[in-house]
Amino acid sequence: MSDMIQVVDSPQTITHAAKRIREIALQKEITPEVVLGVFDRWAAALADLELHDVPGMSFLRLWLRRGNLEPILLRELGPSSLQGGWRQDGRARLRAFPLGVVGHWPAGNVEIQPVLSMTCALLGGNGCLVRVPSGLVEITRRVMDKLQQADREGTVTERIFIGAFDHSRMDLQEAMARAVDGAMIWGSAEAVSQVRSLPFPHWARVAVFGPRLSAAAMDAATWGDRTQRSSWCQRIARDVWQFDQQACSSPQTLFLERSAGCAPAEFAEDLKKAFQEENRQHPRAEIEPALASAICTARASWLLDDVGNRALFPATPDWTVLLGTGAEMPDPTQGRTLTVLVVDDLMDVISRFDGTLQTLGLGISDARKEEMLAQAAGRHGVDRIVKLGRMHVFGSPWDGTELIRPLVRFVRHVLSQD
Amino acid sequence: MNPLAEIEQGIESLLAQPPYDVEPEEHHRLLLALLKKELDYACERNPRFRNYVENWPVDFRPAENIADLPYLPVRVFKANPPLALVGAEDVKRTLTSSATTGQMPSRVVLDAATARRMTKGVITIIRDFVGPSRRPYLVVDTPENMKGQAELGARGAAIQALGSFATEVVSCLLPSENGDGILDLEKLLACAEKWKDSDVLVYGFTYVIWTQLVQQLQRRGITLSMPNVRVLHSGGWKRLEQQAVTRDAFVRGVAAVFGCSPDRILDYYGMVENVGVVYPDCAHGNKHVPCFGEVIVRDPLTLAPVAAGQRGLIQVCSALPTSFPGFLLLTEDIAEVIGYDQCPCGRRGTSFRFAGRAPKAEVRGCGNLERTRYQQVEGSGVR
Repeated sequence: MSDMIQVVDSPQTITHAAKRIREIALQKEITPEVVLGVFDRWAAALADLELHDVPGMSFLRLWLRRGNLEPILLRELGPSSLQGGWRQDGRARLRAFPLGVVGHWPAGNVEIQPVLSMTCALLGGNGCLVRVPSGLVEITRRVMDKLQQADREGTVTERIFIGAFDHSRMDLQEAMARAVDGAMIWGSAEAVSQVRSLPFPHWARVAVFGPRLSAAAMDAATWGDRTQRSSWCQRIARDVWQFDQQACSSPQTLFLERSAGCAPAEFAEDLKKAFQEENRQHPRAEIEPALASAICTARASWLLDDVGNRALFPATPDWTVLLGTGAEMPDPTQGRTLTVLVVDDLMDVISRFDGTLQTLGLGISDARKEEMLAQAAGRHGVDRIVKLGRMHVFGSPWDGTELIRPLVRFVRHVLSQD
Repeated sequence: MNPLAEIEQGIESLLAQPPYDVEPEEHHRLLLALLKKELDYACERNPRFRNYVENWPVDFRPAENIADLPYLPVRVFKANPPLALVGAEDVKRTLTSSATTGQMPSRVVLDAATARRMTKGVITIIRDFVGPSRRPYLVVDTPENMKGQAELGARGAAIQALGSFATEVVSCLLPSENGDGILDLEKLLACAEKWKDSDVLVYGFTYVIWTQLVQQLQRRGITLSMPNVRVLHSGGWKRLEQQAVTRDAFVRGVAAVFGCSPDRILDYYGMVENVGVVYPDCAHGNKHVPCFGEVIVRDPLTLAPVAAGQRGLIQVCSALPTSFPGFLLLTEDIAEVIGYDQCPCGRRGTSFRFAGRAPKAEVRGCGNLERTRYQQVEGSGVR
């Protein structure tokens, strides 16, 4: 089994890899059905115990299963898309063809993102050039080893080139951009801006995911229910902990609808217990000094800004709950720092969203109220509205965009015999 | 005795001692008791600070270690109005850190008593390194930065703090548009001629000395023949590191243009928020803590103090301020603890080595929208 990740030092390596992948894609068509078969076997291979420590692994396995991907394909590419055939569209017929070679620039903070990004392009029949961030090389290698095991004939594997190189190597970044017909770009504003400015061909289709922020909201009946509260707090802790709160789907602020019967401080104490438990199960192995410093500053600034503000935190930088009032989203600190704001009306919060908010995690007891909140959130730019505890569950559409459809071309054929 | 008077008495008692001779356990005992009183006093004076201390995970009053007392991150002093324990009518001077364009500088307010202690603290420390005598003082800066103003920058504060050692003061730079100054060669050469065999104190910011003095003289092939100078410099290395100037090259360069021995060049670490305390290098290259202060180096992962030989975020402590709550400050700088006593130079207590600013957190996540939108460009390490 060969190493699927290559350390790249010259632009020619990337150019040659792209040429090879493009030729394979031209010569050997691959249907979504075949890709689904390989992915299903890949999902089974990933059940290996040795991969259990990879963050997001259980989700990746679910993602790769036929039962998950088939409905997404049918919805995005239409009926009969699995076999790669034509379908009638009035007097014409339509068929999805791959863009060609799709370049992937995943963010460095989501361990399985290089793989998730790649799978979207492969399902569209594309070849993939992937730049794997330095911190994710080893994890990606372990995951790709399992693909090689599941794809003995190399049907899918031969369409993938994964390169590891420093993000500052502009010659390599440019070579990669020049070689692709489409791109999936994930990450922070700085990273996304940098990649978007690369010299892509004029025909390249570029899908950008991020940067976005996310928040959570609970109505008074939900957070005030003492019998269910610890369960909700566990869900919130889970959403905060994953990806160290650096993902676009990570909640930075939790809005609580004011309750006549229950004190927010009581809720904060339960949240503290949930955070302590989550931290016990998933302690940090390391932290950048600047993040530790930012966490300390967030705690101090919060308490110094307003004598009515409260905060719960340990002597370590492990987690922080900042408790106060207000309907505005404060600047996020990340690093497991959740701002909990009490508001009179959740609609007031949602009406202030400006399109930067990606996911709204909800805990609402009244379905009619949730319907109204979801309508308002959609109008104010929110792309995902999910139950608390499921804020990171990856699915299509993401960021309001489908995941496979942007990476294919729909060819329209009007028969000349008609 | 009222609490403030009691605190002032405690500070004066520490300031009266030789700064590096106090046995570490005694130092810890005295400082811990004084800092607790100061925290209580600050809580009484400022409700916002009290809110911070009341939300600290443990009560500081029974604490047995200085490391367990509530500390403030130094960035909170970037607020305007500055965090204060005195009314505006009692503010004698506001010190500001240097900051790059667009960045909010730190601001700390000094009343008369704190300003006096600041000067006394610096003199006590510097005297231990260069001796007590008064001597000519050459300032590698512009006259503007030597003026006593109500709002004083980091450069001005450092220059003025050493003024007590001066018999006469001469600045050798002319004002320039970029604020770094331009060498007034004629004036410098006149001083060099006049003071050539005398003990002379020289002070300037590290990058100013290098770019405006050393490089200018090297370019002209001039050596000053001042073998008895003591050159003190501070302000950080980042700008010189960007020019690939190592510390060794800096020391050799400065010694060469003054015609003195390299051991007469003294680097010190300090910041305006840590009033009255500076940390010069000893002959063994270590920095020391005077008896009226302490340095705690914290592991970023746990924020617990590190063992000797390990690195972490620097927390500076000073008993001197009573006009703002600057007793216990977590900086964004990194240091390595060399030891908790017994430096071969003979100075007692904690010794450490500065290792630079904490690198900016890598902006890499898809959730970094606000941080990238609002993040301000970090300064050069010049505080």
